[in-house]
Amino acid sequence: MSAVMTAEAPPRSSARRKARPGRGAFWLIAPALVLIGVFLVLPYLNIIAMSLRPTAVGAPYGAGFTLGNYAHALGDGYILGVLADTLVLGATTVPICLLLGYPVAYHLARTRSRWGSLLYVLVLSPLLVGVVVRSFGWLILLSGNGVINRVLIDLGLVETGLQLMNNRLGVTVALVHVFLPFMILPLVGVIQSIDPTLEQAARSLGASRFKVFWRLVLPMSWPGIQAGTVLVFVLTLSAYVTPVMLGGAQVKTMSVLVVQNLIDNFQWPTGAAQALVLSACGMVAVWVYARLTGRFMKGLQ
Amino acid sequence: MSETASARAATGRRTTRVSLDGLRKHFDNAPAPAISHLDLKTEEGEFISLLGPSGCGKTTTLRCVAGFEFPDEGRVRLNDEDITDLPPEKRDIGMVFQNYALFPHLTVWRNLAFGLEMRGIGKAECKRRIDDVLAMVQLTALAERYPRQLSGGQQQRVALARALVIEPRLLLLDEPLANLDAVLREDMRVFIRELQKRVGITTLYVTHDQSEAMVMSDRVAVMLGGKLLQFDVPEAIYMRPRSVEVARFIGRSNLIEGSVEGLTDEPGPYPTYRVSTALGSVPASHDQPLATGQPVHVTIRPEAIRFRNDGPYAGRVQSAYFLGSTVEHTVQCAGGQGLLVQTSPGRRMDAGAQAAFAFDPGHAWIIAAAP
Repeated sequence: MSAVMTAEAPPRSSARRKARPGRGAFWLIAPALVLIGVFLVLPYLNIIAMSLRPTAVGAPYGAGFTLGNYAHALGDGYILGVLADTLVLGATTVPICLLLGYPVAYHLARTRSRWGSLLYVLVLSPLLVGVVVRSFGWLILLSGNGVINRVLIDLGLVETGLQLMNNRLGVTVALVHVFLPFMILPLVGVIQSIDPTLEQAARSLGASRFKVFWRLVLPMSWPGIQAGTVLVFVLTLSAYVTPVMLGGAQVKTMSVLVVQNLIDNFQWPTGAAQALVLSACGMVAVWVYARLTGRFMKGLQ
Repeated sequence: MSETASARAATGRRTTRVSLDGLRKHFDNAPAPAISHLDLKTEEGEFISLLGPSGCGKTTTLRCVAGFEFPDEGRVRLNDEDITDLPPEKRDIGMVFQNYALFPHLTVWRNLAFGLEMRGIGKAECKRRIDDVLAMVQLTALAERYPRQLSGGQQQRVALARALVIEPRLLLLDEPLANLDAVLREDMRVFIRELQKRVGITTLYVTHDQSEAMVMSDRVAVMLGGKLLQFDVPEAIYMRPRSVEVARFIGRSNLIEGSVEGLTDEPGPYPTYRVSTALGSVPASHDQPLATGQPVHVTIRPEAIRFRNDGPYAGRVQSAYFLGSTVEHTVQCAGGQGLLVQTSPGRRMDAGAQAAFAFDPGHAWIIAAAP
């Protein structure tokens, strides 16, 4: 019997050689590198430089360097309020997307119906229409004289129209709609990769369907949940068109404020600093979140 | 405490009889039923193999017992309790899957604890049982590892331990050795069989590997095309096949058509008949009465035929292949009948040689059913 135990070698993951990318591989990624360099790294460096300049009248920025823009962005109660509102908007959009998206993703991952691909198209459909058109659609539905209010008034359910937009509600509804695919798609991939025999094994060990979901499928979905929530959070923080169109004067997000400073007020250094503060907050939030959720993913690769 | 006693304490010896009555399962879109009119009854503590080529219905049968499929007709019973309509989690059956199906996000320990937690078993009792079972499969040192950090054989033993730790009424194994390399597979055969004997749990084992089924089982159920062809001890499956299909599927055999000439008074465990074949009149055994003139097949295993200068049958050796421990010859006989003959290397004949051969009537078996 002991022969069984000694005959086996431990898994030799270290012995497995990783393929080294050669020179050919470098040339394949070169276009992407150029693209990222020209359209991401350079503008970012430019924004960082801009944020350290003093504001000037009649010119993009004044002479010399200053940290005043950051002091303003981090010291002004109004700006901090907008920043907090933006983060709260992200923190509400994400769980709603997760709750709505998970069942759809699970169904998409496990369905064998011929209508599965149609459902896929429906899930992707918000991405097939421009963001302006989508937000305009919600405007038609949610405005004071919009479709929903008309129906409610005609049915006699309400006296006067409900305030459905120009507030946080309208923005959140539209953002959830727009970003739902970004939650669903990573979830589908991860749920599809969960071997259905694992669920059968859990059933045979005495787990009910609910326990199988709670103890097995949900924990194993963590990589997808993490990817989806981070995507939706980041997209919500940087959303501009939807808050502008559906938020009115009531809901002001950081991106709206930044664009206001850049275009309306022509205060490029101020806007640059605010944009960077938003980026930094988003990155810190994502980093903390990834650290906190990382421990759920032990054993999952 | 002796090893056996502790093994029983670890898995609470609970013996069960399985009985399958007239099972039938027809999947949508399938041209033929996956299983039809399947009857199978085990004794307590038996190790039963369901053996057959892929698509023979053996896995469907196992899944009906586990509760992952529900039969269209027929009942599944454990000790007279009808479990046909119970969901898998209410059946109290341990199952080992071909790909092991270990939970990748849980350590070995947590994998084993899963089924116990589902049963609401207390911490102390959990620990005792898991410790015992881990010792039994010799994995105590690896309790805190994650499945992906284990070798295939180790994962296999974790899967076995996870199925046993819940002290199930029945153990189901679905081709558990198919993903292991050849040497490990042979070791694991013995390991699983020894463990099953120590625990004393009734076991259904699905395999397409006949030597696996022969080595491990108390009885073998040979399946083909959704039907149970023969259910008997391994020796009987090999030596006394009931149908041409079983003779063809199990090992290699020579099948010779013929018709019964009559009963002889040769001594032997079974009555010996003479059968008229292309080789001439040959003696062969059968345990049922046969009518004179009845068309039959005679099956003779290649290793039961010996080259002997005074042998009553003759033929020309067409080829001789050296296989290591044996040499396999094909012999063309006078009546046009081709035969496989397996001998030890010392008794090999060269291709082209004329050979006389003989066989013992006890090793020639009559198959009465028409193919």
